Amino acid sequence: MLAKQFRAFKSTLDERGIIFSFSGYLSEGILYSLGDALRQKMALEDTDVTTIKKVFSVFVEQSQNIIRYSADKVQGTLGKAVELSSGMVTIGSENGQFFIVCGNIILEEDMAKLKGRLETLRAMAPDEIKAYYKEQLREPPDEGSRGATIGLIEIARRASAPIEFDFDRIDAERHFFCLKVSI
Amino acid sequence: MDNLFIAATERSPEVAFDAAAGTLRIKGESYPEDASQVFGPIFNVLQDYLGQADGNGLKVDFELIYFNSSSAKALMNMFQMLENATDVDIVVNWQFMADDETMKEFGEDFSEDLEHVTFNLVPVS
Repeated sequence: MLAKQFRAFKSTLDERGIIFSFSGYLSEGILYSLGDALRQKMALEDTDVTTIKKVFSVFVEQSQNIIRYSADKVQGTLGKAVELSSGMVTIGSENGQFFIVCGNIILEEDMAKLKGRLETLRAMAPDEIKAYYKEQLREPPDEGSRGATIGLIEIARRASAPIEFDFDRIDAERHFFCLKVSI
Repeated sequence: MDNLFIAATERSPEVAFDAAAGTLRIKGESYPEDASQVFGPIFNVLQDYLGQADGNGLKVDFELIYFNSSSAKALMNMFQMLENATDVDIVVNWQFMADDETMKEFGEDFSEDLEHVTFNLVPVS
């Protein structure tokens, strides 16, 4: 029963072309290890350098967004400051392209701003995104953003198609936020 | 004047600054969550050096393979600092793998505003 259950779970992931999917508390150490495995997997399959770079970059920015902005977070001190943020990161391939999906909980009060930023990016052509990136690189960071603006532009810049995103309301205070990027 | 050497870690580059020789090399990858941890010490030694270079120049070699967006922001700040040091001769060598379009494009982006700093794009294979 146990093996059957988990084999079915793994088959579902395999059928969707998922290379790996992480769900739970994400840290910088986990990000490093997953990213390393991801690069090795792509290199072993003779993926070209530019594609590996793009996929890795989107993976890092998405994961660091979860680490920074997930509303489901535990913080404390274990000899040093520790911050663990809950979320999901999924990488796969479909129709000859890689895709990276991140998911995490965000607060109602942060939703409108994030949605606005993503809608702006989704509506831009690649050369507009590039120009916007260069402009933002020269701007001082937004108050309280810890680098969000430039990170989202970097994600949109590496994407081969317009970014996809969605919000699923959990309750009055929270949404589950998802962002999918194809490369 | 102080030299600076910081060994590379999994997510941060090797940094080597030699004040007597007037050279700075940043090599590897940079994707810490907080880029100021990596770039703060570099900004400090550069500020000291550029403030009292006394006719000496500065050569900066970048051998970066990958960096995240917050490191990109810090690099932009570094280039602005170098560009503002108009009384110091500054040469930047931006090394990248010849087949790596991303790093080449970053080099082009960073060099765009530079007038006083000499910026060389250096493809390697």
